[in-house]
Amino acid sequence: MSAISELSTIRRTKAKTPEEKRLAAKEAGRDNKAGYLFLLPWLIGLVVIVAGPMIASLYLSFTNYSLIQAPEWIGLDNYVRMVNDPRLHKSITVTFIYVIVGVPLQLIVALGVAMLLNEGMRGLAFYRSIFYLPSMLGASVAIAVLWRQMFEVDGLVNQVLRLFGIPASTSWIADPQWALWTIILLHVWTFGSPMVIFLAGLRQIPGMYYEAASVDGASKWAQFRKITLPLLSPIIFFNLVLQIINAFQSFTQAYVVSNGTGGPADETLFYTLYLYQRGFVQFQMGYASAMAWLLVVIIAAFTAINFYLSKRWVFYGD
Amino acid sequence: MAMNRRQFLIGAGLAAAATAGGLTACAPGSRGNGGGNAGGEQGAATLALAWWGNPTRNKNTEAMIAAYMKANPNVKISGQPGEFASYWDKLATQTAGGTAPDIIQMDMAYISEYGSRGALLDLKDVDVSKFAEGTVDSGKINEKLVGINAGVNSAVILANPTVWEKAKMEMPDDTTWTWDQMAEVAAEVASKAGVPFGLASLVGSDPFFATFLRQNGKELFTPDGLGFEAAEAQAWYDMMVRFQKANALGTPAQISEEGSGPSAKPLDQSALVVGNAAMQYWNTNQLEAISAAAGGDYLMEMLRGPSLAGKATERKTWYKASMLWSASAKTKNPEAAVAWINWFANDQAAADIDKAERGIPPNTEIQAAVKPKLSAAQQRVLQYITDIQPEVAATPIAPPPGGGTLAEVLFRNGIDVLFGRSSTAEAAQKFVDEVKSNLQV
Repeated sequence: MSAISELSTIRRTKAKTPEEKRLAAKEAGRDNKAGYLFLLPWLIGLVVIVAGPMIASLYLSFTNYSLIQAPEWIGLDNYVRMVNDPRLHKSITVTFIYVIVGVPLQLIVALGVAMLLNEGMRGLAFYRSIFYLPSMLGASVAIAVLWRQMFEVDGLVNQVLRLFGIPASTSWIADPQWALWTIILLHVWTFGSPMVIFLAGLRQIPGMYYEAASVDGASKWAQFRKITLPLLSPIIFFNLVLQIINAFQSFTQAYVVSNGTGGPADETLFYTLYLYQRGFVQFQMGYASAMAWLLVVIIAAFTAINFYLSKRWVFYGD
Repeated sequence: MAMNRRQFLIGAGLAAAATAGGLTACAPGSRGNGGGNAGGEQGAATLALAWWGNPTRNKNTEAMIAAYMKANPNVKISGQPGEFASYWDKLATQTAGGTAPDIIQMDMAYISEYGSRGALLDLKDVDVSKFAEGTVDSGKINEKLVGINAGVNSAVILANPTVWEKAKMEMPDDTTWTWDQMAEVAAEVASKAGVPFGLASLVGSDPFFATFLRQNGKELFTPDGLGFEAAEAQAWYDMMVRFQKANALGTPAQISEEGSGPSAKPLDQSALVVGNAAMQYWNTNQLEAISAAAGGDYLMEMLRGPSLAGKATERKTWYKASMLWSASAKTKNPEAAVAWINWFANDQAAADIDKAERGIPPNTEIQAAVKPKLSAAQQRVLQYITDIQPEVAATPIAPPPGGGTLAEVLFRNGIDVLFGRSSTAEAAQKFVDEVKSNLQV
């Protein structure tokens, strides 16, 4: 028995008289106060940095607000305009493709690498760090610039292709047909954080299940399907929800790769990028606020659907 | 809160200046200033001055501020240097929060966003009597002067002489060439020199699109809104497709990659600088920076834009303000802000520091006095700006609010056309529709 648990046992057995109980309650109250004190920075942050601006943006979404003049109430006009905005529809299409293709691909890669790393190899900590590295860098400006240079007409990718005799002459980053896919690739490459979470989840699965299964003659694939996937499903679900929310809010990569334009030909016009253009380039903060609220609704809907569907496939082991 | 930050910044700036002053005073052999300026503390006007720029401009501007404060001990100026893209985010939020800088370096693309919404001070008290013809009007929004031209500029085709030498070709006669002749020459030089671009960055260049419209009797913008119809835009796109098919402009992928406006490659990686283009669209005040970036001991050649008639005098170009000086309508010291702008525009001391960094000084007397002090590149630019005087037509009005994005929309739909994703008619209609809807803010 550890020293701490011994101590708590002593305390529990000691605190019996009413006087002692009162003291204990007082102590708990003091603990609570300390707790709230520790919570305070977060609480202030929530009210001042999150809730305040959110309410303000909800109000602004019903106004015409140029940032320079005072907001002018226009009711639902911004929302009505959104129905007939071709670039908004384009940005929704681009973002949906990015989320629906990018997130599952990234999770598959993350799970694959996590399973490899879970094989108990030597120097695991080193490999884990190496594979995590892209996640630290992926959203950075430097990587987006590097991406630009890798995928341009005379970039690294085309030079390698030409070495193999493939006459690659297009610019992957500037050709409307390919531009979005290079950014999806960048997203998949930053698989580090779901990978680490998967790795932790894999460690939780008791080895005896696999031993028992192999004794019974189950193949590796059957073991993966019948043991790994069900037992890992809460972790997969967690990663899925989180990554979908993140992917909807992607901004930096597209912003840097296209210099804030969403080009070529709006093929990388992510929702948040368009929102930024409306707000800060075209001075339509009211419209941008309305767009932000539509995004909240879209993300909430996706998350709700996720939770609803999760009942069918997530296994909590009870 | 932002107010406090600004005060803090000013305070910090002053404290830093005071410390620096104290240090020099302590240095052995320093010449003491004697009495000091204690009298100036009372009623001192403090001004915040914001600009975007490059290292040279930052140095010049700091030096001008220092010189001005020395000559005017009653004024304290704190500089807010910035970088072009983030400059506008910051200015918009500062203006929204009522803490806009007192003196603002302004761009033609944004001046009416601010000016027509009453955010800029009326600068009628700035003396523009010595400004060259056609250099004042660009700063007028709704007949009110809210921006003072800080340097004269004109859209130009820069040509890289090393590429032309490689092609063993002479520079064309830019006073008589038509659009089609320009494309022929571009295709020829590109194929002979073996470079991707004969002429780079034409598709999305709004000044050349504007001269094309003006030669057809239209304008980018009129006081009523958009100054052209889808038919003219389609004519432009048709011409671009024809030029591209003739191999004058590069492949669609190369054109898209080179970008335009906000998506353009940085100056030092541009096609002209790295030797991938024989010609490229730029502005005259960029000649020095481009030539320096190319690293050779030569200057790029400046070529006039073409005309439909084959006569440079009918190409309908204009003097553009490379940037302007504006003041916030909410400044607490309007006189002091006006005085500083007046000093920049009309005082030799300011011009001696900044020379032609912001473009050729519009004040003709200053122009003449500063001429011998200019670098070789700046002298060339001054010569060019003087030479094209007979070709200069009326100054176009500033883009109305929402119109600053025209070039980006022009280029985006051009890319759709070049990649065969839409017909020129569809693209022209989309382009016109989008710009029109942006104007109805």
